[in-house]
Amino acid sequence: MDFSYSADELVFRDAIRAWLASNLPPGWGRTQFEPENEDDRAHFRLDWERKLFNGGWNGINWPKKYGGRGATLVEQAIFAEEMALARAPEGLNIIGRNLTGTTLLHHGTEAQRERFLPPILSGDEVWCQGFSEPNAGSDLASVRCLALRDGDHFVVNGQKVWTSFAQYAQWCILLARTDTSLPKHKGISFLLVNMNTPGISIRPLKQISGESEFNETFFDNVRVPVENLVGELNGGWRIAMTTLAYERGPEDTLGRQIRFKQELDRLLVTLAALRRGNGTAIDDPVVRDKLARAVVEVDIMRLNCLRSFSQALRGKPLGAEASMMKLNWSHMAQNMYETALEALGPEAPLVRGDPLSPAGGRFQLSYLHSRAFTIYSGTSEIQRNIIAERVLGLPK
Amino acid sequence: MDFDFSAEQYAFRDSIRGFLADRPAATTAPPAAEDAAALRSGLADLGVFSAIVPEEHDGLGLGFVDLALIVEEFGRWLVPPSIIETLTATDVIVAYGSAAQKNRLLGGIAAGRLSLSTAIAEADAGYASESMACILTPGGSTWRLNGAKILVVDAMAADYLLVAVKCGDAPVLLIIERGRAGIRLREHTTFDLGSIYHEATFEDVEIHATDFLGGSENPEALGQLLDAGAVSAATFMTGIAGRVLDTTVDYVKQRNQFGKPIGSFQAIKHKCADMAVAVDSSRSAAYYAAWTLSGEASERSKAVSTAKSFCGDSARFVCNEGTQLHGGMGFTWALGLHLYLRRVKMLEYAYGDANHHRRRVLAEALRALGVGQAVAVASR
Repeated sequence: MDFSYSADELVFRDAIRAWLASNLPPGWGRTQFEPENEDDRAHFRLDWERKLFNGGWNGINWPKKYGGRGATLVEQAIFAEEMALARAPEGLNIIGRNLTGTTLLHHGTEAQRERFLPPILSGDEVWCQGFSEPNAGSDLASVRCLALRDGDHFVVNGQKVWTSFAQYAQWCILLARTDTSLPKHKGISFLLVNMNTPGISIRPLKQISGESEFNETFFDNVRVPVENLVGELNGGWRIAMTTLAYERGPEDTLGRQIRFKQELDRLLVTLAALRRGNGTAIDDPVVRDKLARAVVEVDIMRLNCLRSFSQALRGKPLGAEASMMKLNWSHMAQNMYETALEALGPEAPLVRGDPLSPAGGRFQLSYLHSRAFTIYSGTSEIQRNIIAERVLGLPK
Repeated sequence: MDFDFSAEQYAFRDSIRGFLADRPAATTAPPAAEDAAALRSGLADLGVFSAIVPEEHDGLGLGFVDLALIVEEFGRWLVPPSIIETLTATDVIVAYGSAAQKNRLLGGIAAGRLSLSTAIAEADAGYASESMACILTPGGSTWRLNGAKILVVDAMAADYLLVAVKCGDAPVLLIIERGRAGIRLREHTTFDLGSIYHEATFEDVEIHATDFLGGSENPEALGQLLDAGAVSAATFMTGIAGRVLDTTVDYVKQRNQFGKPIGSFQAIKHKCADMAVAVDSSRSAAYYAAWTLSGEASERSKAVSTAKSFCGDSARFVCNEGTQLHGGMGFTWALGLHLYLRRVKMLEYAYGDANHHRRRVLAEALRALGVGQAVAVASR
């Protein structure tokens, strides 16, 4: 066990630190922030991602030949920490980088990797995820969206839901039923669909926060070339499990941890300045205890990621343990935002737009976002089933 | 960067596991003297007591982190607390003891001949060292110690006591023989049926300069002891929680109701999943805290208090849920499950409870951000 960095790792750290210092806008995180308008923010994030790419800092863990720099897991952890220290913005192409990329690196053909991976990192092609359907949520394997073979194409008909970023996406990873006669897990295929194909329409869904990051997506006789099938025909379920394990795994979790740590630090600073009579909001012993719990839990989230990285470095494959990580962080983060509102007390109901809302209403917005954490990427109930059956070996 | 143990560290743990699996299981009575002696000498043969003793004192020269898996394993088998107390005390003697103290003690500790206990808690002081009523009164070249300590682990069997006292306003640490004139012991009645704890009363006990750990008044030694004790307790409780999780999972697989194993019901599965998550996160917290104790880590205070508060709360949760999932049998003495819960109750409140350590976590977090300083200091 050793938490110190090697000489090479320190060189890497200094390089990303220096790059961030000269590429983030002056006053970033103190006087300069992301645009508040949702659409402006999306484009801002895409521009930032392109800037990262041009500096050689996007998708650093990918092999060099696809535009990455072959970074180690430790370098990924350093990168995430430095991004956090600099309060660097998120990118927009999260699904492309974390899900499409990871899936193609594991299961794609060489031709698919060469075609699709480089434009993900350059920010030329943004991806969305077409997994869930109105009647295939927790029971994802019951997807009905149909993809039937017609010559050298699949013809796709059906509906997807919760397709985040569909309005900005050029491509979609799609789970579709390619054989209705087989048992439900065995008739699903994993397709790459160009969002500009005729027959695709999207309808924004208004979220609890009032934003519309995700959508309903409709497929009406959408033709997808057969070379855009990933893996084997009817072998899509196993591939989707790889995708989901990465969606729940330590790389994703560490990135989130960084955001939560930033928000928690911001909350502590806000509360220390928020007047309550002769003192400040942070003097309240009950509030302090809850804040301390949040500090503890956010730190443990990071430690869990680092332990998972070290196990991966020793060749232990990422499996159902990813569900433990996701179950843990999602509830931890919800508790943190509940605590934030409790600590803001009488000002808690004042949201963005009201001049008296502390810190511009960011904690209220994040609180609303946090309600999704225990639902997306597999609900907590599904994660608990996975842990009980596949980690603890309890009977079905 | 590597947050895992080495093959050697796992092999050390496995050797201890093999040894403990062959020993008599913990019961509702303290082990007989010959059993306790056999346990101690067996562990000494396996290198437990010599592990963190420096090589010049016949030890292996390892760090506290090398004991993390061992202490966790001790939790799984409910090893008597006197073993852990000796290891915790050793860590502080290695770090702060004078040359004379090291020469006198470390060889005997490494060989498993000496047993040490810590005397820290007082009935009226809470967890604040500043509030301690055990006080040294100067008189010429010596001092007189008066006061009382509670929950001293098996003091009657200890050769030496590490006693936290106040010298003027400064909390300091003494190391004195248990048999010194003026020390009276009274056996407590506690939750923990399998171990003995004493109240120790000090009445005009004569203290010399050589009794200060390190040979002089060093408040840092007490800080190190409190942190080492907190990490030991956190790690031990993590071992208990892991054992209760395993026992519970085994039980719900074989207990049938409504014609099938109760472990097939989601209401049961979901509790087990939450227990597993709590155990796994406890390991992250405890192992990291153990690492910060060994080195120069600037994160020590926060890491130690994170571990003590989180692992204590988690062990409480896992023991409560484990009892629940065993149904009526979990509430009886028949399965011995209550022994785990009883030991957790001793450790949750030792070396600072979860509330105490959360106060410290927040103070450290605010200090790192440079805000709320006045409040942080005032509430410590």
